[in-house]
Amino acid sequence: MKRVVTGNYAAAFAAMRARVNVVAAFPITPQTFIVEHISEFVNDGIMDCEFIRVESEHSAMSATVSASATGARAFTATASQGLALMHEILFTASGMRLPIVMPVVNRTLAAPIGIWAEMNDVMPERDAGWILAFVEDNQEVHDMVLQAYRIAEDNRVLLPMMVNLDAFILSHTVEPVDLMEPEDADRFLPSYKPEHAYLDPERPMGVGIFTPPEYIQEERYQTHAAMEGSKQVIKEVNDEFAKMFGRDYGGLVEEYRMDDAEVALLTLGTVTSTAREVVDNLRAEGKKVGLVKVRFLRPYPTDEIRSVASRVKAIGIYDRAISYGVGGPAYIEARSALYGHTDIPISNYLAGIGGRDVMLSDIEFMFNDLLKNAESGKVRKELVWINTRGVEQ
Amino acid sequence: MSIGIKDLPEENLFTAGHTACAGCGAAIVVRNIMKVLGENTVIYTPANCLLVFGATYPHIAWKVPYHHVAFENTAACATGMKRALNTLGKEDTTVVGFAGDGGTADIGMQALSAAAERNEDIIYVMYDNEAYMNTGIQRSGSTPYGAWTTTTPAGKVIKGKELFKKDVAQIILAHNVPYVATASVGYPQDMLKKVEKAKNMKGFRFLQIYSSCPTGWRHPTDITVEIANKAVESGMWTLFEAVDGRMEITHRPKERIPVQDYLKLQGRFRHMSEEQIRILQNWVDKKWDRDSRLEKALKMLDESTD
Amino acid sequence: MFEVRFHGRGGQGAVMAAQALASAAFSEGNYAVAFPYFGAERRGAPVLAFTRVDSKKIYRKTQVYEPDFVVVLDDSLLEMVDVTEGLKDGGVVVVNTRKKPEELALGENIKVATVDATGVALEVLGQPITNSSILGAFAKATGAVSMDAIEKGIMDIFGNKIGMKIAEKNCRAAKAAYDRTISADGRPREKEFEKKPKWLPDVKELPIGGAGVKMETNAGMIGPGSFLENKTGGWRTFMPIVENDKCVACQLCWYFCPEGCITMVPYDNNRFKKGIAIDLDYCKGCGICAHECPTHAIEMKR
Ligand SMILES: Cc1ncc(C[n+]2csc(CCOP(=O)(O)OP(=O)(O)O)c2C)c(N)n1
Ligand code: SF4
Ligand code: SF4
Ligand SMILES: [Mg+2]
Repeated sequence: MKRVVTGNYAAAFAAMRARVNVVAAFPITPQTFIVEHISEFVNDGIMDCEFIRVESEHSAMSATVSASATGARAFTATASQGLALMHEILFTASGMRLPIVMPVVNRTLAAPIGIWAEMNDVMPERDAGWILAFVEDNQEVHDMVLQAYRIAEDNRVLLPMMVNLDAFILSHTVEPVDLMEPEDADRFLPSYKPEHAYLDPERPMGVGIFTPPEYIQEERYQTHAAMEGSKQVIKEVNDEFAKMFGRDYGGLVEEYRMDDAEVALLTLGTVTSTAREVVDNLRAEGKKVGLVKVRFLRPYPTDEIRSVASRVKAIGIYDRAISYGVGGPAYIEARSALYGHTDIPISNYLAGIGGRDVMLSDIEFMFNDLLKNAESGKVRKELVWINTRGVEQ
Repeated sequence: MSIGIKDLPEENLFTAGHTACAGCGAAIVVRNIMKVLGENTVIYTPANCLLVFGATYPHIAWKVPYHHVAFENTAACATGMKRALNTLGKEDTTVVGFAGDGGTADIGMQALSAAAERNEDIIYVMYDNEAYMNTGIQRSGSTPYGAWTTTTPAGKVIKGKELFKKDVAQIILAHNVPYVATASVGYPQDMLKKVEKAKNMKGFRFLQIYSSCPTGWRHPTDITVEIANKAVESGMWTLFEAVDGRMEITHRPKERIPVQDYLKLQGRFRHMSEEQIRILQNWVDKKWDRDSRLEKALKMLDESTD
Repeated sequence: MFEVRFHGRGGQGAVMAAQALASAAFSEGNYAVAFPYFGAERRGAPVLAFTRVDSKKIYRKTQVYEPDFVVVLDDSLLEMVDVTEGLKDGGVVVVNTRKKPEELALGENIKVATVDATGVALEVLGQPITNSSILGAFAKATGAVSMDAIEKGIMDIFGNKIGMKIAEKNCRAAKAAYDRTISADGRPREKEFEKKPKWLPDVKELPIGGAGVKMETNAGMIGPGSFLENKTGGWRTFMPIVENDKCVACQLCWYFCPEGCITMVPYDNNRFKKGIAIDLDYCKGCGICAHECPTHAIEMKR
């Protein structure tokens, strides 16, 4: 059934379709509507779950982790300060290998306090052991929440997963979304039956034990291997979903007009969407530009990015966050994946910080800069602050 | 007839081999509570002594499922566990959080208050050893006046804790939950009865249990129980319960012994001056008076509204 | 460079002793480090501490595996842990015990030194705290530091922690122990020390997510209820002696034992009479049972 809905609605609806057993969530702009929609679904009797109206995000993540460790399918959602408050418990979720799914509406993490799109909330959590997906429209929000459970609960993976969507640009914007029918969702996503972690008096086990050095390093290896292994599962789930519902997202990355492209811009989130239009315009002018939508930062699509680099003359990475003293986090990731694999110029474009709009002209600038780099074979400027007053771009 | 020592089963659901200090009061409390709760129980422990002495991977003293996530979230995690069990068709399984005084009176208070307000169907046990023992004896909001801890040392100028013990049970009572009780390692009959009562009720149930700690309180290991008795006999610890807010003191010392008789058994109070002891005695007298009046008031309140 | 391993029990002050030795060596112009085995053991459990001394700056940050000297603060540990593990040939073991060195069979090609440090401590300090006396014994047996330096080390570490007056007393205890320490060549062990096997699964065998599941392993049972594999009886200094004739089967000791190692058993072939049995594999010797018994049927003995 197609309806015009917000990204927040799409996320809440998908959670309902995933038949999550337990939801524990706390409101924060711009994620609030996810909590409110779930409250409505529950109170209207169309969503059958235990909904815990906790007093904080710390408790939201705690209750979610414990519900999942008990053996239930668990869901929560947050943004910004809320995610930061969860930080401690995020590591428990991955350490215990709990397939929790959590939409994160990416918003500025204070200070300065702001409520608009920025990715400095999720970037510090790259090491928390969560699969990190980034989406560009509301359909993808809906589809990825459902896919997330398939990926996370796969026995080869068993890791929690965040679905990152840009504040307001998706969370509060309505657009047509094909909302899944219950039968279809059930066909795609069977119920969760954990074998590794559950709390059942009939088969007692300890989950969360004080552990000496003899064992922790092996556990870390297992989790790292699972994260690496999730790449294959992400692709399989993408393909199966495409077969069943006709929507193919390309797996770890999606390439747009990359055949014969001379330069590639790597994007995360909604800027991808705007960039598609820019690519079309520049292509019409005869400029050989292409776009790579990075859909996952964890696991990092190392092979895919190396393959892109081998086909173009310059690469640029768009970032909506800054790691002070280095550059954008997505750039840091790409550059480390490419080390020793390419000699082409690599540059970083920062734009849209604090929710500032990223204009078509901004993206055009990035592509033109990349074309110059491609021509000279040199990086004109490594870190380019787009539209920043008093800073030459 | 309510449960007594001789009704307890022989089997330990919290087994020997655990690594609590010799003479640990908390170990006595936990081991016996588990005998009342039985096998259909799931446990949460935050960071505290019990977490560490109850298991070191791959060995576990618990025979029932047991879970730990962090320090400040006992009530939130127990809630998540209970709600999950409900969705898995195991509504009859009892969920219990065993937290220390630090994990309850201090860092865990927010999640605790919220779960109490929501009347979550869990049992929350605060074993009160009156300091952060796991990290090496630092003061908590539950540490009594005058007590030495490593963060309230007996210094040249300031000797011991200058502030008074926080009354956590009364805070929880103010949440209007079905069951609040205090108990003590030194009063088996009283404690077992309360645990059994809590087990057979629904909704949020809270027990604050006095658990002597020879290591942190600096007393010989063999007087763990004697000290607990003196705490009650001196009025330092009030044994009460409140079913649906109706408060009743469950053990009233015939004549309260001087607080000094309690203090002198423990190294943590050794440095206290006469003045400090007088201040503490004064506090105990007032507290006892308040607890007695409170009991009366809450009973009367109930009669007038029934 | 020389390396020292201290064996003690939680609460006996092994770490302070290791630190005081470091301070002593430092006072003689050396570079010295001391550190605990980073564990989470409670009071009474076997613990380790280490001191490493060299004439130049020490860069090595590992624990000590092949000590030159071993210090044992409590001879009941000799049965529980292999105190000579990794000890270099010609190394010295310093033991707090009433026994003579010839009476201990800890291995060949080593030197064994003994002192009744507990006796010394009781005499001089009035308390059985042996972590200072044993340092005097160490100085005498090894010659690795002087007695003067040991006193400086004790004044520094003990003085700062528990006050100068008590530190001075501790120096006197160390001095007395120095004078009473005797050494002998080590005798071969009667039988090899049996080391408990450890379960060390590789990344494929280790259950994921750190879950504690019930399993039988090369090192015995693991998972729920498996702490029974951990025999805490070795922590004990005092032993409960039971006179079941006096037992009235009130079950108070059974209730109050923190370990749950007391069971109610039929007694005197009489089905109406019950007594208690104590599982000494787990009894930590806290004495609560004896203290709470209304008929004094239990007595604590050393
Ligand atoms: C967020 C956080 N802060 C600090 C700690 C360190 N910590 C672990 S246990 C503990 C004290 C526990 O005290 P209490 O709850 O009274 O239990 P006890 O150890 O006394 O039994 C502290 C401070 C922690 N684990 N997590
Ligand atoms: S420190 Fe106290 S509470 Fe902790 S294990 Fe030791 S005796 Fe028990
Ligand atoms: S001394 Fe008694 S109470 Fe203490 S551990 Fe041994 S048997 Fe149990
Ligand atoms: Mg405590």
